[in-house]
Amino acid sequence: MSRKKLVSIILALAMTVFFTGISFAGTLSEIVKRGELRVAVQSGAAPYAFVDKHGEHAGSMIDFTKGMADAMGVKIKVLDFDWDGLIPALLSGKADVLAADMTPTLKRALKITFADPWMSVQTCVFTKTGAGYQTLEDVNKPEVTVGVLLGSTGETIAKQYLPKAKIKSYKGGGRMIIQALLAGHVDAGVNDDLAVLTALPDFPPNSIRLLDKRLGGKAPLSFAVNHESVNLWQWINLYFNTIRSNGDYNKNIAYWMEGIEWKKDH
Amino acid sequence: MMAFYFSRLVEIYPFFLKGLWMTSKIAFISLITCTLLGFVLGIFRSGKNPILKWIIGVYVSFVRGTPFVVQIFIIFFILPDWGIQLEAFPAALLAMAIMGSAFICEIVAGGINSISKGQWEAAASSGLSLIQQLRLVIIPQAMKVILPPLVGQYVLLIKDTSVVSVIGVMELTRVGWVTVVRIPEGLMVFSLVGILYFSISYPLILLSNYLERKMAL
Amino acid sequence: MLTDFNFRIIMEYLPLFLTGLKSTFLISIVSLLLALATGIIACAGRISSFKYLKYPAIAYIEVIRSTPLLVQIYFLYFGLPTLGLRIPEIQTGILALMLNSGAYIAEIIRAGISSVDEGQLEAGVSSGLNYFQRMRFIILPQALGVTVPPLLGQAIVLVKDSSLLSLISVMELTRCGQTMTSERFMPSEAFFTVAFFYMCIYFVLKALADWSQKKLIFREAY
Repeated sequence: MSRKKLVSIILALAMTVFFTGISFAGTLSEIVKRGELRVAVQSGAAPYAFVDKHGEHAGSMIDFTKGMADAMGVKIKVLDFDWDGLIPALLSGKADVLAADMTPTLKRALKITFADPWMSVQTCVFTKTGAGYQTLEDVNKPEVTVGVLLGSTGETIAKQYLPKAKIKSYKGGGRMIIQALLAGHVDAGVNDDLAVLTALPDFPPNSIRLLDKRLGGKAPLSFAVNHESVNLWQWINLYFNTIRSNGDYNKNIAYWMEGIEWKKDH
Repeated sequence: MMAFYFSRLVEIYPFFLKGLWMTSKIAFISLITCTLLGFVLGIFRSGKNPILKWIIGVYVSFVRGTPFVVQIFIIFFILPDWGIQLEAFPAALLAMAIMGSAFICEIVAGGINSISKGQWEAAASSGLSLIQQLRLVIIPQAMKVILPPLVGQYVLLIKDTSVVSVIGVMELTRVGWVTVVRIPEGLMVFSLVGILYFSISYPLILLSNYLERKMAL
Repeated sequence: MLTDFNFRIIMEYLPLFLTGLKSTFLISIVSLLLALATGIIACAGRISSFKYLKYPAIAYIEVIRSTPLLVQIYFLYFGLPTLGLRIPEIQTGILALMLNSGAYIAEIIRAGISSVDEGQLEAGVSSGLNYFQRMRFIILPQALGVTVPPLLGQAIVLVKDSSLLSLISVMELTRCGQTMTSERFMPSEAFFTVAFFYMCIYFVLKALADWSQKKLIFREAY
């Protein structure tokens, strides 16, 4: 065999070994091989994802992703982040999937890949009960301070619809805004209506009310993965189709979002 | 209302103990890594090699010139760009090690530099190698100068573990932060957190004061 | 990595960073001055022989020194509203920094005062000077030389401590880094720029500290 041929065979073998050896963190095959699905969720965001009174991770996002892990035959590892830390966590490879109530925006989609929506919500304005704000014009004034969540679509939408008001961004989660509202640091808050409604039971009854007018249209919420994880992305879409048709999806939403029964166990 | 919140706090108390345990773990491991690394760096910092001294000097300046919280964000979110992928707990340990060792390096270097040249010369003329000189003559004497600020630095390190809460490590401060949103009684929650920190810091502060008095003799 | 480093984006966000820098600067100066006042008062209480001043001062100093600043910040931020006090974040942050640094400054001053030789005090007493005159002409001028360098050190610490205020939504330098990261998903550009600005502040303050040390040692030679 000529030297040239030998070299090309060796090169070809080396390349096959090299390419089969490469696996991007977060692809489906990597996850199955590793035996673990790493999920990035928001901390302290009941009922989506939080640490319950037993010290365990619980919530709607946890149940969905636990179902995914079970279907893959792997363990689940839940990692908490502040809202503005979720995307950096996914981008830096710390997590395979981002499971939160995140809206797919074009800007975010430049960096990460969103799955099909698992829910739709609308952005709302909320104030203290009895504060006297009725319409958007009441809130859109220079002397009004509006609290939003750092890095959320609420932040962008608030700046768009309430340009005259002062916008203050809170790090952490949606509850930080409610907390700030009740403490008097802000006059109003802007966030997803579902997030606000599901957080209300944790605060004194009747202390918060949502304004009737919603901002913007219906906003979808989706899980996200890295750009390289094409198979995982498609798998997640198939997963949600599957659980919608077999009823698990409805059970999850009914348990976590539509009632407060879950508070007894968590 | 107060009683209601108080009872919920009592119910969730084990969670706080878990946080205290995590804080203690981080503190303990960090104290060891920082001390080891800090001593090595400090010895070289007070040594002869000018290049090494300069490099360590730059490292120390960076650590002392930037806030710890910024260092943590860099280690957690930026290192992955360079291929170093760390979860929250290891990232916290690394950040503590880098930060603490820089401060201990200066304490150790200061202690070694305070030893008079005569001691070095006497040790060398006794036929001891450099390592033996350090180990048997210089460092034991330097410890008198090093020990009080060192223990003081340990207290600071324990308190600095609270900052790692920003990358999600479930230590004592984070436990308080996560709890106060569900039990909005800030005074109660953080008084509890404060008391728990006090219980591990104050003994060390007393030790530091005692050492300061003893070493001043 | 440096080839990907996007300087264009940093230039775009430069106004934001400069706003944050200015804010950090103002917060630090105000907090430092207030802390100085607090420290002097606390120190006076600490060294007094009147037990109703001494023990509260000791309690204040030891509690501050044994608990992390972040916990103190959260305590005020989450705790004051439950007492009915609605204080804006910046003020809460400055209050926390003031109380925290005040305790350390009290100890620095106390160390400075006790470093003055006993003989000086005796000479002052036998010269017929009263307490305030002794303080003003003998003790404080000499204590100053021992006190100013650690005070400047505490100033450096305070500037770095102000970064924690970003966690209670105060718009300062570190918060700019967080904002840029959440809008552009570029933590490298954001936080290296932030680190760079803090280093600038550090080197300025350090130069000041070194200069003051030289000047004061010179004074002591008289």
